[in-house]
Amino acid sequence: MDFDFSDEQKMLTDSAARYVRERCDLDSRRKAAKTPDGFSRQHWAHFAQQGWQALTLPEAHGGLGLDMVDMAILMEELGRGLVAEPLVDSTILCGELLVSSRNEAVASELLPLLASGDALLALAHRENDGRCEYDTQVTARAKPVEQGWILNGSKHQVFYGNAATHLVVSAEISGEMGYNLFVLDVTSPGITMDVYPLIDGTRAADIHFSEVAVPPSAQIHSAGSAAKAMDSAVNNAIVALSAAALGSMEAVMAMTADYLKTREQYGQPLAKFQALKHRMAEMLVETEQARAMLFCALAALQGSDMQERRHAVSGLKVLMAQAGLFVAGQGIQLHGGIGVTEEYAVGHHYKALMVFEKRFGDSDFHLARRAQLLT
Amino acid sequence: MNLQLNPEDLAFRDEVRAFLKANLSPEVIYRSRTEVHPPNEDDRRWWNGVLNKKGWAAPSWPKQYGGPGWTPIQRHLFEMECRLAGAPELRWQGLRLIGPVICEFASEALKKRYLPPILEGTEQWAQGFSEPGAGSDLASLKTTALLEGDEYVVNGQKLWTTEAGYSELGFFLVRTDTTSKHGGISMLIIDMKSPGVTVRPIEMINGDVSTYEVFLDNVRVPKGNLIGEPGSAWTQTKFLLANERTSSADIDKAQGDLRRIRDIARKTQKNGRPLLEDPVFRQQLAQLELEVEALDWAVLRVLCNAPSHHPVAASASVLKIRGSQLQHKLTRLAVDALGLRSLRLYSREDAFGASASDAWPELVPGVMVDHLYMRACTIYGGATEVQKNIIAKQAFGL
Ligand SMILES: Cc1cc2nc3c(=O)[nH]c(=O)nc-3n(C[C@H](O)[C@H](O)[C@H](O)COP(=O)(O)OP(=O)(O)OC[C@H]3O[C@@H](n4cnc5c(N)ncnc54)[C@H](O)[C@@H]3O)c2cc1C
Repeated sequence: MDFDFSDEQKMLTDSAARYVRERCDLDSRRKAAKTPDGFSRQHWAHFAQQGWQALTLPEAHGGLGLDMVDMAILMEELGRGLVAEPLVDSTILCGELLVSSRNEAVASELLPLLASGDALLALAHRENDGRCEYDTQVTARAKPVEQGWILNGSKHQVFYGNAATHLVVSAEISGEMGYNLFVLDVTSPGITMDVYPLIDGTRAADIHFSEVAVPPSAQIHSAGSAAKAMDSAVNNAIVALSAAALGSMEAVMAMTADYLKTREQYGQPLAKFQALKHRMAEMLVETEQARAMLFCALAALQGSDMQERRHAVSGLKVLMAQAGLFVAGQGIQLHGGIGVTEEYAVGHHYKALMVFEKRFGDSDFHLARRAQLLT
Repeated sequence: MNLQLNPEDLAFRDEVRAFLKANLSPEVIYRSRTEVHPPNEDDRRWWNGVLNKKGWAAPSWPKQYGGPGWTPIQRHLFEMECRLAGAPELRWQGLRLIGPVICEFASEALKKRYLPPILEGTEQWAQGFSEPGAGSDLASLKTTALLEGDEYVVNGQKLWTTEAGYSELGFFLVRTDTTSKHGGISMLIIDMKSPGVTVRPIEMINGDVSTYEVFLDNVRVPKGNLIGEPGSAWTQTKFLLANERTSSADIDKAQGDLRRIRDIARKTQKNGRPLLEDPVFRQQLAQLELEVEALDWAVLRVLCNAPSHHPVAASASVLKIRGSQLQHKLTRLAVDALGLRSLRLYSREDAFGASASDAWPELVPGVMVDHLYMRACTIYGGATEVQKNIIAKQAFGL
């Protein structure tokens, strides 16, 4: 075993770290959150120049063909800078659904656009009654017609739905069991959205499909392969988002330690109080455990045992969320009043980690899954 | 020992319940229960007036100044019933902090001038204690008030002055004698509209503005606005805290939160059944309900001056620590019960406007912002770490 970074990986870390340091300050994040997109198109364009959207996509379709380890390295750096651009949603989650598709035509048309950042995909899967992607009932219906299907239904709280060029939509074909996945241009007639902000300044949308014409070429997964592809894609998304969460935690620890050294009360720096030193130490203990689980999950992704992947990814999700909210919560606490303001980064990290905890199955869901898999 | 409520207390509680039922509209109840911070100011002023007509606006004031003459248990019951009924939370600065201090320490002239509008709810107050350099270490505050003829001239900067932006008045800790650290600090009433007072809003983590920075630049204040003798602010502050020994437990909010969590869990589905039927969730809720029950009895013990092995100053810190930790957990469980929906950020207007739909039921707004705001409750009013220092010293001489 060897946990060392290759030269390429070191370069990736450095260039991401530099970008975050130079361009991703809190002001720029707060400004971007106020735009209708909720994220920065400038950052998105820069990512494209760097090839970050292309990172994990296959070389045959304009990607760089790197793996989830590389993606995790990138995401950790971006997480430090509260990066809210939909890299994971578009290229990892939806990208993986396209890559695993047998629909060669649509993959070869869309993947290059995805890799270049020109296309932005969002997953429209969960519906009103579902708590997450795993347990949602798909009631959206695709009714077969002569040329393809007619789609009706509603999807709830689609992350980045407002900014997407294309949607990956789940729907059951009337008369079949299990959902299919279709990719649709958002401008297709019959698609409407209610858009609203989330606590991290990004946007989500409730998306309604009314008599939307779906051509045969739009089907990327049939009922036979959709759920399995979804499982895989969500696994990857969780791992990538976990790495970003880890970056958040590192950033919080760094800014909190700095703050303790400079803020004085009772005539001395806060850093002199042992209670606070110990808290910092606890924060690191939590962070290191979560980081260790990231590697456990990355190892499982390299294997082909689906059960093992689920087990490791659920474990990662639980531990990272627990550690993350502890670290950011204590980061706020040690900052005192300034920690609960919008003008200071630590609270933004707390919110980002809260979003992370809730997405793709919350801690209760994933712990229950681990419990089920207990032998 | 009598561990039951008296028949008079039970009758009192019924009377309060009937009054609340008769006077609160569904709209007001809805807005209060969102727990959006800061709460709706119009509702609070209106409710202050309604309670005052009944003689119930200031439970903690002596009877001669307009208090209702209740026992501590009755105060406690009243506050609990108000919260559970969804009454607007009254502004604490005037009614709970400075009001009793004015009753106890201020001149007759100040009492006459300032007490009635607090009871009526027509003048609201802000508390100007903390400064950029004086948070936990309040005694290091730097704002000065120096006498020039019949006026104090005030210079300095306050931070975290909650609701200063829409308060008529403020009570400020100022240094009237710059030679000693603990002595020389006085409490001064300042009209927020005085020339030289500037307020800057601070946007909080929950997306709202509830607290302000206050700049005091050569503000001229009549000499008579000083409360009591110069240099006696610590005595007054101690009195003020002793008066509010149990309020930092936030027990009525905790009970309200339990009710809210149950509501959410009843109406939220997990695997096709109400979340409230999920055994894992029930355990989590049972744990918190248990902790709230214990806190409630701890509050009752302090209210009734129960004999204790430890000084009462330690008990107050115990209540603050446990109550604020519970706020973190309760508001988090509410967020968790809601799941992904909790992530939506509502504007104040939308949150109060009850713009409910099937996809976004009316119990969603306010849940996350309450959790985010309540991250502050282990910081304000004496941070947890500082409370621990107090306990170690008061209870164990450490
Ligand atoms: C939402 C909100 C509303 C507020 N409203 C008001 C108001 O209306 N009026 C008003 O006057 N003030 C108000 N405050 C201010 C509040 O009282 C202070 O924030 C509080 O006293 C802590 O001070 P600080 O923020 O400067 O933190 P600091 O004192 O700088 O503390 C930072 C961290 O260091 C820890 N620490 C400090 N000293 C020690 C020690 N000796 N040992 C161990 N740890 C220590 C603290 O516990 C904290 O975790 C409000 C604050 C908030 C957040």
